[in-house]
Amino acid sequence: MPIRGKSLMYFAGVDIGSTMTKVVMIDEAGDLVSAIKGPTGPEYRRLANEVMQRALEQAGLDIDQVSYIVATGYGRLRVPFADKQITELSCHARGVSSLFPTVRTAIDIGGQDAKCMKIRDGKLVTFVMNDKCAAGTGRFLEVTAATLGIKLEDMGELSLKATKKIQISNLCTIFAQQEIVALLSRGERVEDILAGLHDALASRVAALARRLNIEPDVVLTGGVAKNIGIVQAMKENLGCEVMVPEEPLLTGALGAALLAREAYMKATASGEKLSTKPRRLERATFFG
Amino acid sequence: MSDKNEGLSKAREIYLNRSQRARELKAAGRRIVGYPCVYVPVEILTALDLVPFQTCGEMKEPISEASRVLPGSFCPVMRSCLDCALKGKHDFLDGMATIHSSDPQEKTARIWQSYTNYPYFHFIDMPITVRPEALEYFKNQLNDFGKTLEAFAGRKLSTDNLAEAVRSHNRQRGLVRELFELTKSSPPRISGTEIVQVVRALTSLPVLEGNDLLAEVIAEVRSRSNGPEKKSARLLIWGSTVDDADVMQVLEANANVVVNESCGGLRAYRGEVKLSNDLFEGLASYYLKEITCARTFRQASLGETKKDYARDLQSRFGHLQKMIKEWRINGVMMLLVRYCDPFAFEMPSLKDYLDSLGIPSTYIEYDYTAGSIAPLRTRVEAFVETLG
Amino acid sequence: MASEKRKKAINRLQSMYPLRAKVNETYLKSIEAIQAGKPAVWAMLNFYYGDPILKAMDIEVVYPENYGAIAAATGVARQFLDRADAEGFPTHLCGYSLTTLGYACRMMKDLKGQIPPEAPLGGMPKPLFLLSSAAICDARYKWFQALGRYMDVPVWPLESPTPGIREFFMEGYYDRMVKLGVQHLRDFVAFVERMVGRKMDWDKLEETANLMIEVNRVWHEVNELRKARPCPMHSRDFWSAMPAALFLAGDLQDSLKLYQDMYKEVKARVDSHTGAIAEEKYRVVFAELPPWHSLGFFDKLAERGWNFVVESFGYHPPIPIDLSKVSDPLERITRFSLQFFAGYYQDALKQKVLGGTSAYPYLKYVREWKCDGALLHPLISCRSASTHLPYVSDMLMHQLKVPSLIVEGDIVDLRLFNPDDALARAEPFEETMEHYRKMRREAGFNW
Repeated sequence: MPIRGKSLMYFAGVDIGSTMTKVVMIDEAGDLVSAIKGPTGPEYRRLANEVMQRALEQAGLDIDQVSYIVATGYGRLRVPFADKQITELSCHARGVSSLFPTVRTAIDIGGQDAKCMKIRDGKLVTFVMNDKCAAGTGRFLEVTAATLGIKLEDMGELSLKATKKIQISNLCTIFAQQEIVALLSRGERVEDILAGLHDALASRVAALARRLNIEPDVVLTGGVAKNIGIVQAMKENLGCEVMVPEEPLLTGALGAALLAREAYMKATASGEKLSTKPRRLERATFFG
Repeated sequence: MSDKNEGLSKAREIYLNRSQRARELKAAGRRIVGYPCVYVPVEILTALDLVPFQTCGEMKEPISEASRVLPGSFCPVMRSCLDCALKGKHDFLDGMATIHSSDPQEKTARIWQSYTNYPYFHFIDMPITVRPEALEYFKNQLNDFGKTLEAFAGRKLSTDNLAEAVRSHNRQRGLVRELFELTKSSPPRISGTEIVQVVRALTSLPVLEGNDLLAEVIAEVRSRSNGPEKKSARLLIWGSTVDDADVMQVLEANANVVVNESCGGLRAYRGEVKLSNDLFEGLASYYLKEITCARTFRQASLGETKKDYARDLQSRFGHLQKMIKEWRINGVMMLLVRYCDPFAFEMPSLKDYLDSLGIPSTYIEYDYTAGSIAPLRTRVEAFVETLG
Repeated sequence: MASEKRKKAINRLQSMYPLRAKVNETYLKSIEAIQAGKPAVWAMLNFYYGDPILKAMDIEVVYPENYGAIAAATGVARQFLDRADAEGFPTHLCGYSLTTLGYACRMMKDLKGQIPPEAPLGGMPKPLFLLSSAAICDARYKWFQALGRYMDVPVWPLESPTPGIREFFMEGYYDRMVKLGVQHLRDFVAFVERMVGRKMDWDKLEETANLMIEVNRVWHEVNELRKARPCPMHSRDFWSAMPAALFLAGDLQDSLKLYQDMYKEVKARVDSHTGAIAEEKYRVVFAELPPWHSLGFFDKLAERGWNFVVESFGYHPPIPIDLSKVSDPLERITRFSLQFFAGYYQDALKQKVLGGTSAYPYLKYVREWKCDGALLHPLISCRSASTHLPYVSDMLMHQLKVPSLIVEGDIVDLRLFNPDDALARAEPFEETMEHYRKMRREAGFNW
């Protein structure tokens, strides 16, 4: 087992989202040691082990060397090796502020939900969430991409090639599909329709965010933040600059790792005993 | 198991099977009258030897019957209430006493009456203000309620019996307040979940049996050593109805819920009916004025020709200020069911009030179904994390 | 050369036009008066209870419920709804209330009390006070209380009793209700006097009350004439002519004459067997609030032979009541207003229909106006206009073998009403109506 650098302490954040599972590991200094993402399947308990294993391998570490592990996200309650569970809201807030210390408003658009967080001094202050309605989440783009017959990853670039703005009147994902078909048969360009769809999604998310009194700096994260069309549409709908991290999917796991480190350091300093889970990762198998 | 362990586990048992005692009493020849809202003056039922039974909603029961007669966009608590009735879950009832405390209550009452066939059914109308003529109107309504009950019970309502009933129900209110006193400490001696079970149990029992249960629970809680774990977050929950133990457990996963200001918690027990020569006056006054439900229109002064927002807020929410101080609350959760209009309109103003007191608060909406628990969990946990 | 003039599907009453115009004129005159400095009051529709007081005191009245419909129709509602959302008001709340809350926030927070320039038709000015009403639903009195976040103006909450149908007939119940209703109104008058700094002109109030009652009596008679076959007056004319009576618009003496003219015109049609549409194949009742922005929808149905013969209980005048022996105008007003809600109770009790004020009248409408079907229009954000509809549908089928067609919509999100979709369902529903016509004949009904 190689020992990296002089650090003896490592911390892990495991973010189990509805679509992707992410693990980030940091060392005592707070520097990144490894970062892995993999698709969450229905069996996310097993997947969490696999992704954790890959993260350990990338870091060249064994699980025994991890001092504290925080799980977050949709599946956080079912990570048997996690020492603590913290909501993705607090974790994203922490992760985003470590990357952008001036952030006041963080917006995360995931596969099935959207979250807006107000941040002060690196901490979550208040939040709103939408996890009921597909409009305003990654799902909206998935469904509409399928209707248009284009790849999800091409949507953003194509939308920026629009020459006119089409107003999508149906914000409901189901009715939007019908509207797209009608627009196509009317002869509208795919690029223009895409611009309209991106605007529709951004307007939903912006409306959610406005419940919190948006203050700059604004940072956008989540899988949907990789879509440059959405980033542009968010800027227009919010009426301000929007920053995006290099790895917009990892802020939750990063925040979880940082919070793991903070919890551990705080307990060590005050002499408090932290309870931890058995450091045991079942060898992941694809077959059983 | 020692006697000292009876109270809480008894309450839990009743909570899981609420109609059991009512059915036993029915079999023994008693008559049971249901009521869907804490605004119904149950003293009058008790005084005529009728057993009051609160027909609560059942969060985990999927709606099937009620969807035939009530639209989906409707108070889910009342929808659930009606659904249970139409499914025959309250077939032991001899009658229903309904009341115009809210729109859904009024509309459900009509439909309830139309689709069931109890020997007794009464609808009590309620004014929206606490003006003198409104109070007089409500008193008349209660008088009329008494009259139809007399006809049903086959006996006259005696002043002595009514006074006795008022005393017993006041005693119950006092005992519930005593129970809530036990959450003032840090950690609280009894959890929000346990209290919800006790209150829901109470509303299925005759008043004296309820009082006995409360006395047992209080004694047990006072003497036990295995109370709730201390958490740094001490929460007040504000809403229309928070009466489900599973919901409470989610709220208490990382916090101590020390005050449940809703129906299912402290709301129906905070005041006392004044005993006087005019008992109906006392009842009307207590029910209309003392119950702090958002359905009653309160103003700083009646018929005011000038309005000041801060004074207005104080008149509507001032009772919370005292609670926050005495129970050392450091966070308020405004937990509303979807489609509840009175509380929804009230909520932003309450937030303003809490902001003025420097108390962090959050608004969480749920739809009173089993599926609403998971989304609730994240929001509750995140709010508690912001307090820590 | 013969000119081909496209005949209008619905034969509109000539007498409707001046009544409709009157409401528009009154509205515009009111805006002028307010702009010239006259005090304005925001009021909820209060069913003849508070309005006569305001009218007798010569106060300009603005109805945010109506303005909500205007904002929705002109496409301006969306920004006010978004504002209300940002202010933290839950989105399930009544669309009109959210529009008003958003509007008030914009007016007071952004513009320090100035009317927003984007507001259509002159907007709504900051009021002297707010008159809310307990009638019909909770939102209507909680909403004006919530406005206190943006405007420090006093609210008067008008009580509106909602008795149970059986309970209403208990001994002394009605008289006690009236006594307290009069007391309440007297206190309201005192409040208004203090707010405007002027005493009530009791003669004027008496005149206003009497005219209000008489106007509505004539208007009631007009609608009774619609029982004829073919029906001489379509719902579209009802909805156009109704506001003048419901909102006591403008000069009531003038209104009385206009409704009397309407009565003459409708009577003449009855006598000559002239219908509101060319060929009356189906007589239909509509509940509850119409899609104001899409009334052309009814013309398309008229082309198919659908004559809408009665509608919207909430907008109908009270069943006339003899108030000749009541000398106190406040008592007349109180009894008249109560009559709107409870006028049907006796009938409902006889028929053993206990489903509440808003539901029973449809049984009466269908039976007396001889309807073949009901078009029910639930509105997603207006629960009070929608809750009773499943019950109504059930009641009509169960008691009278009359089928209902449900077409959804909303008061502010107008996209939710899809007229093409609704028209597509018209044809199969016609078959349903014909089928139940047969069923009714077999069961011995006479229509």
